[in-house]
Amino acid sequence: MPPSDLVLTARSISRRFAYRPVLTDVSLTLSRGEVLLLVGPNGAGKTTLLRVLAGLLRPSAGTVHLSAAIGMVAHDAMLYPALSARENLRFFARLHGVRDRGRVDALLTQVDLLKRGDDRVGTFSRGMLQRVAIARALLHEPGLLLFDEPLSGLDAAASRTLVALLTEFRARGTAMVLVSHELERLGRVATHMARLAAGRLGSLEPLTGRDPAAVFATLMQDT
Amino acid sequence: MSTLRAAWHIAVKDIAIEWRTKTAFASGLVFAVLVLAVLFFSRDPTEVSSLAIAPGALWVTFTFAAMLGLNRAFLLEREMRAMDGILLTPAPRAAIFWGKFGANLAFVGAIEAISLPLFVLFYNVPIWPRLTELLLVIAMATVAFVAVGTLLSAMVVRTRYAELMLPLLLLPFLVPPLVGGVQLTASLLDGRHLSDISGWLKLIGAFDVASVTLAAVLFQVVLDE
Amino acid sequence: MTLRDRATRIARAGTVVTAVALLGVAGVYVRALAFTPVEVAQGEAQKIFYIHVPAAWAGLMAFFITGLLSILYLWLKDQRIDIAAAASAEVGVAFSVVILTTGPIWGKPIWGAWWTWDARLTFTLFTFLLFVGYLVLRGVLTDPGIRGRFSAVIGIMALVLVPFVHLTVYLFRTQHPAPIVLKPSRPSLPSEMLITLLTSVGVFTVLYVGFLMLRYALGLLREAREQELANDS
Repeated sequence: MPPSDLVLTARSISRRFAYRPVLTDVSLTLSRGEVLLLVGPNGAGKTTLLRVLAGLLRPSAGTVHLSAAIGMVAHDAMLYPALSARENLRFFARLHGVRDRGRVDALLTQVDLLKRGDDRVGTFSRGMLQRVAIARALLHEPGLLLFDEPLSGLDAAASRTLVALLTEFRARGTAMVLVSHELERLGRVATHMARLAAGRLGSLEPLTGRDPAAVFATLMQDT
Repeated sequence: MSTLRAAWHIAVKDIAIEWRTKTAFASGLVFAVLVLAVLFFSRDPTEVSSLAIAPGALWVTFTFAAMLGLNRAFLLEREMRAMDGILLTPAPRAAIFWGKFGANLAFVGAIEAISLPLFVLFYNVPIWPRLTELLLVIAMATVAFVAVGTLLSAMVVRTRYAELMLPLLLLPFLVPPLVGGVQLTASLLDGRHLSDISGWLKLIGAFDVASVTLAAVLFQVVLDE
Repeated sequence: MTLRDRATRIARAGTVVTAVALLGVAGVYVRALAFTPVEVAQGEAQKIFYIHVPAAWAGLMAFFITGLLSILYLWLKDQRIDIAAAASAEVGVAFSVVILTTGPIWGKPIWGAWWTWDARLTFTLFTFLLFVGYLVLRGVLTDPGIRGRFSAVIGIMALVLVPFVHLTVYLFRTQHPAPIVLKPSRPSLPSEMLITLLTSVGVFTVLYVGFLMLRYALGLLREAREQELANDS
């Protein structure tokens, strides 16, 4: 891939918390259209890695270089419960410098929440929160999206919708990092898989044309 | 995105949220009225005139009511980690301080605006001849309270004892504007002019400059994780 | 050199320095009680001044150094600087307790009351409370990085804003003088008193350094232990 397609370059990321090493020497690159499925046991440091990549956490060592805008959907919705979905999105749109007035409604339509636009987000179910969070992450049309357990707490229908959305993003060339255990559902969307265990990242295995479960087994054997 | 504009959006958002629930505001107000009343009654009226304790009562009320409201500003960012959402935007980090500072000023100012007439009513003090000067003194001291309070509340909100830690850390730093405020208020109620008692005014003014600058600069340190 | 080794070395040196300083304090006691003239107006009680004033000097110096180390920590980000800053703050708090107890003990026979909101003591009270708050904050923060940064913020705020507290207390006292004005005996002292005072200041400075070294060594040991515990699991 030509170098201008590189969206994310992380070099030797290390991070400690309260004296314990959480990430050790993690390096990773991602190009346009690549979707990395990041697996690993609980407590391996996956959420920490996402936060470092997003710039929310400073690494103890190493660098992160982004050549695209970043959007993130994490476990917490990053919204204000007292405000409506529309108000929340308008606020973040303003901070992103998004001028288009129709964008908020367009995104609400895309995540199928237009009718609930003026309801307070504090009254929303987990699935609905997730959808507003996705709308928030997409406001500025980021080239890189980070998802931390995107399917957790979603019912089957909502999961299907989300997977369809992710497939659409990939088709449009958005790079993504998905942290999840859901190999079957997300294995088809992802182009690569890698395993993070005890703060260390294993090699990236391509997924196209292969069975996700088999690739997962290969990754497990590497450790 | 300019710092001022982003700060404006953040302040407006904070005020909108508080306006919707009004919980902290109402609590602060009720608390202020209670403190004013309790201080009025906790003295021997034959020994201590209401005018004598009025300046102290006013400033103790302002201080404690302000402290109640300061933690609110950062607690609302923690509920669903909305602060992360702000940090993911290109908004300058300094804007977060100025936005919170502005919203806190509005909040504390609103409580003061309502407590002041009540204070005049309860304590029967002659503030009219010196009203503008008194308002100036209150404004200057409030700036100091809010500057230091915004910085410290950003720090303590992540601890388990935020409500306790904030007054503990904040009060020693508030001694200059607090004592200055009381002294100036007492002099003004006595009929003196500000120009006669400029020493305290200069002290509070210099403290304002120092505390606002310091708070703005050190806030960046507190934001990092 | 490992952290433990360094800590042990500093602890040993610190013990020597502290021992020397304590001998010095004993020496000052002897000199003050036996060889320095009694002050006419205040009597024997005045001699506590030779402990009280140097302790105040040392306490202020301790907090000032905490402030400087706080700036240094934010700049260099070396955890040991944070440990030193906290150590200095603790020593400062200890000296403040000395000031706040010797002050009233000195004051009672002279003023007739234990506490009269005298400018110096009031100022010491406020700085004492500020740094107790500093230590309490450190107690509730577990991550060393956050603890260091937040402590540094308080330390720098103290450095810049405590002079205002000093001004406030003195301005207040100038406008509303205490019932009996206590004149701190300034260098218009007869030479024996001056020598005793200056010697005591020197001794207390050395005592500060000794305490600082010991407390710093303890802090380093704690840091070493935390690192070992984390690496073991």
